[in-house]
Amino acid sequence: MASISARRLAKELHEIQTEGCPVGINLLQADDFAAWQFTIEVMGESLYQGEVFTLLFRFDKHYPISSPAVQFVVTDGKTSPVHPHVYSNGHICASILGNEWSPVLSVIAVCLTLQSMLASCKKKERPPDNDRYVRHAPDNPKKTQFHYDGNSP
Amino acid sequence: MKVNVKSWHAVAQWQWDTGNDQDDDPEGDVCGICRVAYEGCCPTCKVPGDDCPLIWGECSHVFHMHCLLKWISTSSSKQQCPMDRRTWVTAERKVGGSKT
Repeated sequence: MASISARRLAKELHEIQTEGCPVGINLLQADDFAAWQFTIEVMGESLYQGEVFTLLFRFDKHYPISSPAVQFVVTDGKTSPVHPHVYSNGHICASILGNEWSPVLSVIAVCLTLQSMLASCKKKERPPDNDRYVRHAPDNPKKTQFHYDGNSP
Repeated sequence: MKVNVKSWHAVAQWQWDTGNDQDDDPEGDVCGICRVAYEGCCPTCKVPGDDCPLIWGECSHVFHMHCLLKWISTSSSKQQCPMDRRTWVTAERKVGGSKT
């Protein structure tokens, strides 16, 4: 029997393939139910005009009860957006990926949240603790206990 | 004319009374957690019906009971409704409901 996560992800994938992704978001790869990749760009006027980023989702078998591990891809010449909540290793400090995750959210809902997080950025800068974090960061961003406090990371 | 009935098949249809007018939003009748129809069953069950019931919150949100309990049993849920993050309080099963 397919796992709970596989059934739910199959439904999400079917929806993406039949209805398409929101503007600025494109499915890059979803060969299995373990890891998916999307390209994401901010439409209209923003600090990230013309920049295209790649998002990596990793799912465990308890998705959507457990949140997906989401980060920007920083290999193969790809970079993470310079943003106060995004570390240079691609890890993202966003509450919906951590303590505000809800199983009614979806992959596309996460993409849209991150897209609007970039769109509303006022100043391109790394989190103040970027260097220290990146030096000791775990491979999986879900293992990091981020501290969410509004605007500062 | 005389008709002899030799055999017959009874056909019945059922659906959960969620209190929402399902005709308004036929696509919306899915559990928000597993995205399977209320009349289907949660991903761990095989047979829909009384063995895989729905659960109603005081906040008016409805889920497959097994899906909701799986969520509520995790520490990350903080015992909150997945829809509105209010503390989950199971509502009394509405008998009769608003369905006519």
